[in-house]
Amino acid sequence: MNTASLVVLVSLLIIVGGLALVIRPRGVSTLDFYLAGQRVGVATNASAICGDYFSAASFLGVAAAVYVSGLDGVWYATGFAAGFVPVLLFVAAPLRRFGEFSIPDFLGRRLDSDRVRLVAVGVVQLIILSYLVPQAVGSGITWQLLVGQGIGGLSPYATGVLVSTAAITGLVAFGGMRGTTWTQAVQFLLLLSALVWLAIAVLGSGFNYGASVAELATDPLVNPVHVDGDWELATTPNRLEADAPASFAEPGARYGGLGQVALIITLVMGTAGLPHVMNRYFTSPTGTAARMTTVWVLGLAGLFYALAVMLGTAARALIPDAVADHPWLEELTVDGVLRVPEHALPVLGRIYGGEAGLGLVAAGALIAVMSTIAGLLLASAASWGHDVYERHINPQATQRQAVRAGRSTVVVVAFASAGLALGLRPESLTALLPSIVATMVTWAFALAGSALTPVFILAIWWRRTTAAGAVAGMVVGALAAVTMFAAGALIGDRGLGEVFMTPTMVAAPLAAATTVLVSRRTTVPAGLERIWLKMHGTAADRQAVRLARLTIAGVDQRPDDRGVGDAQR
Amino acid sequence: MTSDSDEHDTPAEVDATVRTLRRVAVGYFVVFLVAIGGVPGLTLVLDWWSKGRVIGGMSPSFVMAAFGLYVFFFVIGLAAATLSTAVESRMLGGPDDDAADEDGLK
Amino acid sequence: MRSGSLPLAAVLAATWALVYLFTQEFADPPLGVGTTVVAGVILTLLLTLGYPSALRGPRVSRATRTPRVSRLPRVRRSPAAGSSRTLAAVGRPMPLRSGLTADAARRTAQLLRPLLGGDAVAITDRERVLAFVGPGEDHHTVGDPPQTEATARVLASGKTVVVRQRSKLACRMPDCPLQSAVVAPLAIGKRIVGTLKVYRVYADPPARDLVEGMAGILSLHLELAELDRERNLAADAKLDALRAQINPHFLFNILNTIASKARTDPEEARQLLLRLSDFFRYAVRQDGHFAEFGQEYFFVRTYLALEQARYGDRVRVKYDIDPQVLTAHVPVLTIQPLVENAVKHGLADKLEGGTVTLKARVDPLTRTTAIQVSDDGVGIPPAVLDKITSGEIDPTGGVGLRNISERLDTLFGERYRLDVQSTEGAGTVIDLRIPLR
Repeated sequence: MNTASLVVLVSLLIIVGGLALVIRPRGVSTLDFYLAGQRVGVATNASAICGDYFSAASFLGVAAAVYVSGLDGVWYATGFAAGFVPVLLFVAAPLRRFGEFSIPDFLGRRLDSDRVRLVAVGVVQLIILSYLVPQAVGSGITWQLLVGQGIGGLSPYATGVLVSTAAITGLVAFGGMRGTTWTQAVQFLLLLSALVWLAIAVLGSGFNYGASVAELATDPLVNPVHVDGDWELATTPNRLEADAPASFAEPGARYGGLGQVALIITLVMGTAGLPHVMNRYFTSPTGTAARMTTVWVLGLAGLFYALAVMLGTAARALIPDAVADHPWLEELTVDGVLRVPEHALPVLGRIYGGEAGLGLVAAGALIAVMSTIAGLLLASAASWGHDVYERHINPQATQRQAVRAGRSTVVVVAFASAGLALGLRPESLTALLPSIVATMVTWAFALAGSALTPVFILAIWWRRTTAAGAVAGMVVGALAAVTMFAAGALIGDRGLGEVFMTPTMVAAPLAAATTVLVSRRTTVPAGLERIWLKMHGTAADRQAVRLARLTIAGVDQRPDDRGVGDAQR
Repeated sequence: MTSDSDEHDTPAEVDATVRTLRRVAVGYFVVFLVAIGGVPGLTLVLDWWSKGRVIGGMSPSFVMAAFGLYVFFFVIGLAAATLSTAVESRMLGGPDDDAADEDGLK
Repeated sequence: MRSGSLPLAAVLAATWALVYLFTQEFADPPLGVGTTVVAGVILTLLLTLGYPSALRGPRVSRATRTPRVSRLPRVRRSPAAGSSRTLAAVGRPMPLRSGLTADAARRTAQLLRPLLGGDAVAITDRERVLAFVGPGEDHHTVGDPPQTEATARVLASGKTVVVRQRSKLACRMPDCPLQSAVVAPLAIGKRIVGTLKVYRVYADPPARDLVEGMAGILSLHLELAELDRERNLAADAKLDALRAQINPHFLFNILNTIASKARTDPEEARQLLLRLSDFFRYAVRQDGHFAEFGQEYFFVRTYLALEQARYGDRVRVKYDIDPQVLTAHVPVLTIQPLVENAVKHGLADKLEGGTVTLKARVDPLTRTTAIQVSDDGVGIPPAVLDKITSGEIDPTGGVGLRNISERLDTLFGERYRLDVQSTEGAGTVIDLRIPLR
């Protein structure tokens, strides 16, 4: 690490962090703190959702997974991108139209039950925590590579975890959501431009994507393993054909036939239950806008992941030849293969952009981590502060007290996750789980997809869903996911174990079936008709559009009428 | 034209819209599932899918996972969003809001 | 209807299985992937494009399951339609089918000149020459009044005239090449509307029979054109009648409902007034014969929202709408009267009320729009149903099935179905199937 990359890194961080403070909300109200007053443009909101969603798992993890296992790693990218299709089809518009603060609030109001709200808060907190940990691990890994030394006697990894957590916690607690909606968008654009720059640099140097894949396919896939204190290369076995080596361009390096499908289903179903992503939908002006936002997200995500997959391939193809020219690669690689696959993108950045390139990619990674952590912390704060504190602990809370409760939640949750991340030494797990960041994120997806998504979709589209059914469904889904996970850790991830490690394929149908069965035996809440009108009717949307049109017409033609329009909002 | 309750849906209308939208969503979801299960699934049944070579040496399966599916997601998303919005605008509210506005403003 | 897609799916799957068998198993060595895919895709395209027309085939009326099923009467194929088939045997489309215009006359004259053995052919209406083809067209200009005295005689008498002498043709130009002519009348019924004139450049006139026969055929065409116009006028008139016939009772009832709600629930009363104005605005604004289903659906929704306000819980509504059907074009003001009948005759007389269901589907394969209005009301007694379907009585006293079926006749001819099934005490189902457009 030297001054050039540090300068780039620090200046980018200051720009992004500065934005959050400059666009701070003026008056403090809980609505502003959590949801930016519900008025955010489609493109901005789409970028902000991407900023929330594209975490270290997407930025470093997808490239790393592709680097380690080739085509089987690409399924991560596919699954992460595909997750927004069910969101678009089933969730986006009704979620916005019903318009509550958070997922627990949504479920609580929809089913008219405090019990549902509290259970949902529990599930949401679990998901957030299991999502936060890999982000902290990712920032630790980045620090380790970038700075290489710790502060105050801590290891570089621990320093990275603590510094990033502290920085982002401060930003969230004092910036508020208004700040972070804009900064999430700016952060995403920075992330995307880092990726685009890297792609242009790699392609400009004569990298031929197709030919490289063909070339990588000719040799068996090898990866470094740690044996008796020494690193050596070992052939990755093929899980689809016994006794054959795995190949970069063919499936089988990581998952058997069942495992591939199980992983994709897990990632696809998970997104709709991610609280920090879903909370962004409440900031769209109308249900239709929420839907169009998701289309934008699908486009941006497609671009992002296609680039990440290409760069993972490029790292695999280019790094062996680069070792000769770049002596610093020696200590990171074994015979031209990276020891820690998450280093793939930063190393590419340093090869093509020198120290400044490394700084840019590192800033991208840290920003990915920061923006995701910020989104998660806010979601956590919203569910604790709004759903628990304001409703159950202190119903007479003033705005100031509620905001303070939210802020203290942010601090507590952030440091809990940092503690967990410190407990997990990535080196000890790398051998077991290649590209640990992407793998760990699937745990959060599995939990969300098993416990929340089925109940969520049923509550939106099935009139007969009841509070008891939803509670049973969430509990069964969460328990099934956790149990299968524990079982999977015991029996290993071979054969059926693959499904146990990515349990949504089994747990989600189980949760849905439980919800349906229990709902059939209980009675629906009384005000269902009104709820249905609000959630699926477009009257409010049409009213909003008409008022907006009148206001614009008033501004353009009839200045006298502006007062009417303004008063309406 | 300025009261909050000018726009109004009846339960029967909303119920009809929900069922139509649900049909749209489920239809698209099935197509989506077939595509997303088909790409890894074809590997098991068709050798050519993962061993064949198309553009520049990538296998069809790699091409789909690396680009094809993202384009597909975007297209299916755009189609579903457009259709759902069109269905909503025809099944709820008046047929032509502009015409209604004209009358109201006269 | 929907079942159209299932056989297609099966046929396609079987085709691909066959393609696989032939290219991969039977062929040795197996064919390349590209070849196989191209072959399969071509077969698939042929099947999907050809399938709908094959499926449409001859129309078979389905066996009836419910106790009382009747088909509404349809206008019989008119004699005019029969003669149109005879004319089709001539082998060429007849331009005059669209009426006696200069353009159609010119094309007809060009078409007929070689057939009639004349050198020049002219068509006139009562005032002007509409077309002149052949030698002499330089001074027998289109748009002038007919010059020959023979034409005037034909127009006056309605009888064919043969002119054998050049002087009788009375052409102003001394060097006009035309020597003889046959002039035959064109008539719609007994009314003479013009003449067909065939000239020759020598003294022997063209065959009188041939010219007269052709003039007769042209007259039939003109008659058909007239009929078409009348039919359209009749359809317009029926639509106007329908618009004018919005039941006054309905209006009084709704206004009463609104008046009573104005005290108890002013907000709902305001909503109802808005709906009522929507209802009338839609009814009077429709000027074409077709509208998007989405708009007709809006009209039905508006109507039913008003009826629900009046009847309260006694009228329940269920819509079941295919997304594709929303943009299909349907005849205007057809569905609402069906729904109105269901409410007025099916549910209003039933003490505990019931449900009206509007179901709309579209089958892209057979290109059909299917609309079903059903209720679980009192049903129609068999004797009454017979009378309704045979057109003897108009059960509504206002907007009847009769009006709708007549309009559908003029719009679609044979290509629609309107079925009424009713079981006394269990409800009525009205099934409407029209071509998708």
